[in-house]
Amino acid sequence: MASGHRAQWKGFLKFGEVSCGVALYTAASTSERLTFNTINKTTGNRVNRIFIDGETEDPVPKEMQTKGFEIENGQYIIIDPEEIAAAVPESNKTLEIEAFIPCSEVDDVYFDKPYYLTPDKMGGDAFIALRDGMKKSKVAAIARTVLFRRMRTVLIRPHGKGLIATTLNFDYEVRSSKKAFEEMPKLKIEGEMLDLAKHIISTKKGEFDPATFDDRYEAALAELVKAKIEGKSLPKPKKVEVSKPNDLLAALRESAGLLKAGAAEDSKPKRTAANANQGSGRQRAARGVASKAASSGAAPRRKAG
Amino acid sequence: MAPRYYWKGYLKLSLVTCPVAMTPATSESEKVRFHTLNKETGNRVVSQYIDSVTGKPVKDENEAKGYARGENDYVILTDDDLDRVALDTVKTIDIEKFVPADSIEWVYLEKPHYLMPDDPVGNEAFAVIRDAMKADGVVGVSKLVMGRRERAVVLEPRDDGIVLWSLRFGDEVRPEASYFEDIEDEADPDLVPLVQKLIKQKSSHWSPNMVSDPIQTSLLKLIDEKKKELKPRKTAKGGKTEAAPKSNVVNIMDALRKSVEADLKGRKAG
Repeated sequence: MASGHRAQWKGFLKFGEVSCGVALYTAASTSERLTFNTINKTTGNRVNRIFIDGETEDPVPKEMQTKGFEIENGQYIIIDPEEIAAAVPESNKTLEIEAFIPCSEVDDVYFDKPYYLTPDKMGGDAFIALRDGMKKSKVAAIARTVLFRRMRTVLIRPHGKGLIATTLNFDYEVRSSKKAFEEMPKLKIEGEMLDLAKHIISTKKGEFDPATFDDRYEAALAELVKAKIEGKSLPKPKKVEVSKPNDLLAALRESAGLLKAGAAEDSKPKRTAANANQGSGRQRAARGVASKAASSGAAPRRKAG
Repeated sequence: MAPRYYWKGYLKLSLVTCPVAMTPATSESEKVRFHTLNKETGNRVVSQYIDSVTGKPVKDENEAKGYARGENDYVILTDDDLDRVALDTVKTIDIEKFVPADSIEWVYLEKPHYLMPDDPVGNEAFAVIRDAMKADGVVGVSKLVMGRRERAVVLEPRDDGIVLWSLRFGDEVRPEASYFEDIEDEADPDLVPLVQKLIKQKSSHWSPNMVSDPIQTSLLKLIDEKKKELKPRKTAKGGKTEAAPKSNVVNIMDALRKSVEADLKGRKAG
């Protein structure tokens, strides 16, 4: 299957007593980003990288390099690459499904890289039965096998006519969100503020197709380089005004009003609970028009206070 | 250990702006890492930059980023210059759009980051944006300059913070159709209920135990064994205390210990 593509891995997918031949294909690659050359400032020449002994500063040729592990304060244990290789169990070439978990429980911060998982010619029936069964039961599968010289866990889920297997990062590679956010103040927003924010969101709802997104960085950088060559001064970064806590409600009201005035033609003004809470619609609309007029002049920045 | 923030800037929704900080959700710091050593000396091998013309080592402070203008002709750009690229997305995540929480294909998710307020002044504004997305079941779509590219990003409320996903570019995701085109549409209707039965039997709940790394465990064991072999040396090192008498009476054991110590110091990588 998937003719014309080179498989990253071939083996079997096993669930219960059923197994079928499958292949994994890279689903996402990393495209080239802009790279700079490292330059010696004092001469303007490019630099080359060499590898030297940290103590003697003599160059170390490739064949004299080996692997080591730092135990403490700069002490290293030399470990033979063969010993490292021996720690990797022999691959049985089988992605064995250990568990099915509800799709809603999948913790996406563990996601590493996606692969398209396809059946080989013989395994088609079992593969599509698994795909459709998982679809109907709304589950994803957890499977493990030796992949790329590491015991990897993959999350398998139905996708269109096939399956996608995403390698998952190891437990020690992922910081839990609970921990990352534990020092944040516990704030819960309710009432008018929440309603206003929801209203702003409702005016910005839409669809997004990541495939259509364009990167403007290179063009912007080329502009900057041009300015620098021509000796023009580079634009100062715009100063960003932060909303002060006391002004937050006003900023939200203004945002909601501004947006509503802009979208007045195709939307009914009395759509949100915010309006019900907040005085007359007419007053708010007027404020929206005013602020729109004000902001269309210079920068769309709210005046503080 | 508190993580280092790798980006600081602003989160913006319409006229509401708050200062935020971001850190990657994943880290390689706990991974068993091997360094390159010099077989001959046991010292660490380090990389060094040398001038391609003069052949002389280049000091760290003299290294600069060069934008190739032509053959051997570079425009030097400082980090300060780079911050001045005329894109608001260098410093500000302006949420332009909201989409249903499950509408972004997983295959586009590139790397997760945690986003949080960077100053108490923004706590409430941050919470407003987070809670409104939560209440509406939506995620925010914006763009941000990361690693010299402007990327589409998705903001997803989670716990007390926001998870910011960088997304892959369209040309980074291979078109699925050419991989899946030969697969049958419909499964045998008799088989599917059996599969569902099996799914039920093997149903479980997500747990981080599912992503343990047995090979790392065996590597750590291997390292531990090696460490034990080193133990005599370690004790020797530990044995050198301030209370050690400065005596001229030297026994062979002490002399040996001292030699080992000296040897270890000699090996210490800079």
